[in-house]
Amino acid sequence: MAEAETEARRLATEARDRVRFEEEVLALADQVYRVARRLVSSREEAEDLVQETYARAFRSWRSYTPGTNLRAWLMRILTNLNIDRGRRQQRAPDMQPMEEGDYFLYNRLEETSGPAAEERIVERLSQDSIVEALASVPHDFRDAIVLVDIGDFSYQEAAQILDVPIGTVMSRLHRGRRILKGELAEAAVGEES
Amino acid sequence: MTASFEPICEKCEELIQPYLDRELSEAERLEAEGHLAGCGYCSERYRFEASLRQYVRQACCQEEMSPELKAKLASLRTPLDD
Repeated sequence: MAEAETEARRLATEARDRVRFEEEVLALADQVYRVARRLVSSREEAEDLVQETYARAFRSWRSYTPGTNLRAWLMRILTNLNIDRGRRQQRAPDMQPMEEGDYFLYNRLEETSGPAAEERIVERLSQDSIVEALASVPHDFRDAIVLVDIGDFSYQEAAQILDVPIGTVMSRLHRGRRILKGELAEAAVGEES
Repeated sequence: MTASFEPICEKCEELIQPYLDRELSEAERLEAEGHLAGCGYCSERYRFEASLRQYVRQACCQEEMSPELKAKLASLRTPLDD
C-alpha cells in the first residue's frame, strides 16, 4: 500500500516536472525559430527543423538537467538534427586574400556613394542582400555567426552547442564574418552598377 | 589594395570583435575602451562594426514564426493521460 502511494507521488512529481519543462521549452520557440531560419535556406525547412527539434526535445526531456542552460540544450538538438538531415550544402570557403584587412566592406560602401557617418553607411545595403549574403556563408562559419550574432550565445555556449573547442568558434566567427562582409561588399558593388 | 586604403591598426583585430561580443575580461574591456577612446581608426571602425552587427540582426530577424507552427509545437507535448 505504502509502495503504491510512493509510486503515485513519484509519478505526480514527474508529471509536474515534465509540464514545467514543456512550458519552458515552448517559451523559447521564437528564439529557436529565428536561429533555425538562418541555418537553413527556406521557411519550410526551418519550420520542419523546429518541429523535429521540439518533437525530440519533448521525447528526451529526461536527458535535460534542470537548472542548466535550456536554450543551449535545445540549440544543440537543432544543430545536430540539421547536420543529420544533410540539409547543409557545403561550399568551399572563398580563400581570396583579404588584403584590405577587415575594413574592406566599409571602404567599398564609402566608395559607392561618398562618405557618411559610420552608423549610417550600412544602410546602403539592402536587407535582402544581407539575408542572401548570410545564406551564402559556408555552414560551419554561418552556424557560429547565427548562434552568436542572432541567437545571442556566448562563445562558450556556441562551443558546447556545436561540440567544438572555443578557439574553433572564435576562428569560425572571425573567418565567417569576413566572408559575410566580402559577400556584402560584392552585393554593394552589384547594386551600384 | 585600393589607393584609399588606410593602414590597419593591429589592435582592431584583437579587440573589436570580442569587445562587441562582450567576451573580454574586465581588464581587457578597460584596455579596449582606452584604446578606442584614443585611436580614431579603431573608433570609426568600431562604430561601423557595431551598426553592421545590429543591421544584420535586424535584417535576419524580421520573419516571425507563424501562429500555425506555434500551435503545432504545443500539440507535440506529451498528453497527460494519467
